[in-house]
Amino acid sequence: MIRKLVLNYDSARVSEPILATVIKETGLLLNVLHAKINSQGGQIIVSVDATEEQIQKVISLFASRGVRVEELRDVIVLNRESCIDCGACLSLCPTQALYFTPEMKVELREERCVYCKLCVQACPVRALTLSRVE
Amino acid sequence: MPKTIDEINERIKKGEAVVLTAEEMVEFVKSKGPEAAAKEVDVVTTGTFGAMCSSGAFLNFGHSDPPIKLGGGEVYLNDVPAYAGLAAVDVYIGATAMSRSRGMEYGGGHVIEDLVRGKEIELVGRAYGTDCYPRTEIRTTFTLHDLNQAILCNPRNSYQTYVAATNSTDQTLYTYMGILLPNFGNVTFAGTGCLSPLTRDPAYRTIGTGTHIFLGGGDGDVVGEGTQHFPAKQRGTLMVAGDLKQMKPEFLRGGTITRYGCTLFVGIGIPIPVLDEKIAMDAGRGNEEIFIDLVDYGVPRRERPVLRRVSYAELFSGKIVLGDREVPVSPLSSLRLAREIALTLKRWIEKGEFLLTEPVRRLPLDTSVRPMKQVEPVLKVKHIMTRKLVTIGPDETLETAAKLIKQHGVDHLPVVEEGRLVGIVTSWDLAVSIGTGKKRIAEIMTKEVITARDEEPVEVVIRRLEQHKISGVPVVDERGSLVGMVTTDDISKAFGRRR
Repeated sequence: MIRKLVLNYDSARVSEPILATVIKETGLLLNVLHAKINSQGGQIIVSVDATEEQIQKVISLFASRGVRVEELRDVIVLNRESCIDCGACLSLCPTQALYFTPEMKVELREERCVYCKLCVQACPVRALTLSRVE
Repeated sequence: MPKTIDEINERIKKGEAVVLTAEEMVEFVKSKGPEAAAKEVDVVTTGTFGAMCSSGAFLNFGHSDPPIKLGGGEVYLNDVPAYAGLAAVDVYIGATAMSRSRGMEYGGGHVIEDLVRGKEIELVGRAYGTDCYPRTEIRTTFTLHDLNQAILCNPRNSYQTYVAATNSTDQTLYTYMGILLPNFGNVTFAGTGCLSPLTRDPAYRTIGTGTHIFLGGGDGDVVGEGTQHFPAKQRGTLMVAGDLKQMKPEFLRGGTITRYGCTLFVGIGIPIPVLDEKIAMDAGRGNEEIFIDLVDYGVPRRERPVLRRVSYAELFSGKIVLGDREVPVSPLSSLRLAREIALTLKRWIEKGEFLLTEPVRRLPLDTSVRPMKQVEPVLKVKHIMTRKLVTIGPDETLETAAKLIKQHGVDHLPVVEEGRLVGIVTSWDLAVSIGTGKKRIAEIMTKEVITARDEEPVEVVIRRLEQHKISGVPVVDERGSLVGMVTTDDISKAFGRRR
C-alpha cells in the first residue's frame, strides 16, 4: 500500500544525509514528492510502498535522528462526472498530480498528490474534494 | 468562384456539404492551401466553452390566482435574487447573482444549470399589491417545463480572444482569471484559440445579427454585437439568445470562481460558411498565429501592464517561458468541450439538421471600449498621507521607540537606515516584547514591510490593510525611500470629511 509521510526537519538536521541513510537501512524506495527546505529547516513529503511494520520502522529511524514524521491521511477525489476539463487546477498543482490526457481530459494521479488543496479551491464546478481518513 | 450561403444550404440538404471543424480546417489549409480549401470545403465549425459572466435567462412564470405583480417587487430563485423590474411575471436571472444564504457557492449560473437539469426550483416573491394584482407574497416551486418561456439571453459572450494572466506580487491572488500564484508562479488564459468562433471570421463577414448558432446544446441566434465589442483589438464579442428548454446541462454549467464570484460556463459553436478564399485563409489560421497579451494582474488598476504577447500555441503547450524559467499554464476554457461542440455542430450540418443563415445586419467594425466616466476625483494616497514622519533607526533601543510613540501620538514607527526603509515597529510590537530581553529595534521590527505608493488609490490600500490585518503602511517612492505614512486613522478622517 502506498503511504505518504511528511518529514519535518529542523535547522540542525538539514545538512545530514538522513533520508539517504533511512533508504539504505530499510531498503525501501522513499520517493520524494515535494521538498521545501532551507538552512532554517523545512519539510520533505515522500511516498513509499510499504507494510505497516516497515512504515513504523521508517518513522522510528527518522525520529531517532531528530526528524519528526507525520503520516498524510488525506484522500482527494476527482469527480469525472462533474469535471468540465477546463484545466484551471493544472498550473496550481505542485507535483503534476493533475494532468491533461492526450484527449484534453483532466486526470488525477492520487499517488503524487501532496494535498495542498489549491486545486480544490480553483475548481469552478467543485469537482475536486478532499477528505481525511483517521 | 465564390459560393453563396443558399448554395451551401442546398448541399447541406442533399447531404453533400463538406464540413470541417476549425482544427481540421487549419490542417487542411496548411497542407493544401486556402485556394483548394475555398473550393472543397463548405463549412467550418467552431466551438468554445468557458466562463461567461455576462449571461442570464428571461423566465416567464405565468399568472398565479389571485394574481401577483412581481414586476417592481422582489424575486428569489433558490434564494438567488432575480431582476424583477419587468412586467408582472417576467424576471431575468443573471449568472453572477449570489445566493443570500450560500453566497458564492451557489448563484444565478447554478440556477440556470439546475433548470436545464430539470430540477425543481423554489420561487419566493414579494409584491406591493394593486387592484388588479392583489397578492403580495408567493412561495412555490417550478421546473423548466412549467415555464411559458425560458430564454437564455447573454449580452456578452464568445470573446474573439482574451488575455493571459500572471501575478508579479508576493501574494496569491484570487481573480476572475483564477488563482494566480505569487512571483509569476503560474499563468492562466481564456479562449480556445483557433476553435474560438470570432477568430475564424475576424472581419465579421459571415457572423452577424441573425446567425444561427449552437448555444448550450440547443439552437440559438446571434442578436448582434456584444457589450464591450472591440474589433480593433481582436476582442469582438457577441450578444446571443436561445431557447433554454432545448439546452443540455453538459454545455451550460454554473460555476464559482473562488473569492471572485458566480458565473455560467456557456458552450457556443458557430458555423462559418467558406464563401471564398479570404474566408478560407482566415478560418485556416493556426494557434501559432493568434497572439494575446500576457497581463500582470498584480496591479489592481484598469490599465494593467502587458508583459509580452503570447500565442495560443505556446499557451496550449502547458508551459511558457517567462524571464529565465518555465511557468506552468492553466487554460480556463475547456478545449475538450469546445472540440465536442465543433464536432456536434459538424454532425448536425452533415445530417442536414442545421442550416446556415445570412446575417441580416453585420457586426460593427468601429466600436471601442471606453472607460467609465467618473465625476468624483479618485482619492489617492498622496492626498491623505502624513508627510511629517517620525522614524527610528535599527540600532536604537526599545525605550527610545516607546518615547517617540508617546511624544508624537503615533502607533507606527518606520525603521530607516541611510534614508532607506528597512522595517517597521508598532506599539503592539513593543508591548509583546516586554520581558523577552530584546533591546534593539532590529530584533523586534517587521522586516518585510507592506508598503504603498503615493499615486495609488486609497481603496486599493484599504484592501491591502484588510488582507494583511495591519493598521498602517509606509509610503515609498520608486527607489524605496520613505516619503510618507498612511494609517487607518488617516483613512477614516479622509472619508469622514468626504461624507
